[in-house]
Formats: sequence, structure tokens, C-alpha cells
Amino acid sequence: MKKRLSELSCGESGFIIDIAEDIKQKIAGMGVRVGKELKVISKQPLKGPIVVMIDESKTSLSQKIADKIAVEIKE
Amino acid sequence: MRKILLMGHPNVGKSAIFNRLTGANIIESNYPGTTVDYTKGFLRLEDKSVEVVDVPGTFSLQPKDKAEEVAVSMLHNNKDSLVICVIDASKIERGLYLLLEIIEEGYPAILVLNMWDVAEDKNIQIDLDELERILGIPVVWTIAISGEGIKELVTKLKQAKSVMIDGILSRVEGRE
Repeated sequence: MKKRLSELSCGESGFIIDIAEDIKQKIAGMGVRVGKELKVISKQPLKGPIVVMIDESKTSLSQKIADKIAVEIKE
Repeated sequence: MRKILLMGHPNVGKSAIFNRLTGANIIESNYPGTTVDYTKGFLRLEDKSVEVVDVPGTFSLQPKDKAEEVAVSMLHNNKDSLVICVIDASKIERGLYLLLEIIEEGYPAILVLNMWDVAEDKNIQIDLDELERILGIPVVWTIAISGEGIKELVTKLKQAKSVMIDGILSRVEGRE
């Protein structure tokens, strides 16, 4: 099932299948790239950032950015 | 010898390595126009004094904040320097992105996998020889807090070199 990263709930994991062109470069350096597996570690209230685990490291992403990342959910 | 820039992500141990390389001869300064500090010191190498700069941590060469802007402009304002790229050995994949960007811009580089003990604790095994073969630059492991590997790093500094990104690509794909 395909979802936006911003729609994932805590503990859910999946593979990144698409990232909007305008943010691709910006987040690539942090290890957020198409094909990567990620898991949502925590979500902050009031549209706060989403913390994800990718390759042993935690990265926090804003809602705005998470909206532009498409994830295939692992069943 | 060329000026040495220590680069890498935030919190990978650049400053710990810097302190090991330079001892206590540190000059701390403000990069003009910003409030981001950087530190420079000197390393004795074969009776010569070589300047070493501890560049603020950056994730990539596309700066996202002031500290990263400083890091990137320091790199670009020192075109003839040598880069020691420091990666957290337990998070190696994400650090390689920055290394490849530095290599792509033509800087002679050497790769340091720091926090080797942490990687070992996590049971992460890294084939240094293979990594060295693929990248075409020297690769050393260190544990900066205990000082292990620093000697090896210093002896291999001279072997740092510029490599072509195409060559790395073809070696990754197994064409070489």
C-alpha cells in the first residue's frame, strides 16, 4: 500500500518509492533516498516533525517535507 | 604540503580527530560574517608544519543552514587543500554521500571511518580493502577518543589523491 510519509503512524515502516524533485537534493545528504527502508520512530504533535530511522540513523523531517515523500508500506 | 580540511557530518568525531592530530596548538576563530566557529591547528609532518582546519559539520555540499554554508564556502575557498573526510563507521552509508560530493569536485581525499568500536559493537563488518579498491583513495579506521588508528591516518595522508567519479562508478558496478 502506498502512502505519504506524513500519513504514516508511529512504528510503521516501508520503502521510499518517490521523493518530489524540489526536495530530492536537500535530503539526499541525510540518507533519505528512493529505495531506502525507513521506520517512523516518533511523531510530534501540532504538525511537528516526524522522526524516522534510516540505516541505523535517526533523521527528523518536517511535515512539509514528509508530505512530498511517497512510501510503500511493509505489510 | 597542502592545507588539510577535516570534513564530515555533525557528530562523527571530527574535533576528536582534530585534537589528536594537532595536540594543543589550537587557534579558534570566527568565520567572517557568521557566528559559526571553526578551529585551526598545526600538524607536524616530517619536520614540516601543516595547517589543519576543523570544518563545521555538514551533510552535503548543498548548505541548509549557516554552519553548512560556512563548511561549504571553506571548502570552495581552499581549492588546493586536501580533505580528510570523517564518517561514523556505524552509519557508513549516509556519510559516503558527502565523500562522493567532495571527490566529485576534484579534491584529493582520504576516508576515515571513525567510531570503529561502535561499529564493532553493533556487529557491522566493513571490508576496508574492498572499499579502498572501489573508492581509489586511502581508507583508515580510527577510534579517536582512544587514539587508535591516528598514526595510520597520519602515515597515509600523503597517499590522499583525487580520483574520477566515473572510475568509482564502474568499480561499483563491477566493470573493473
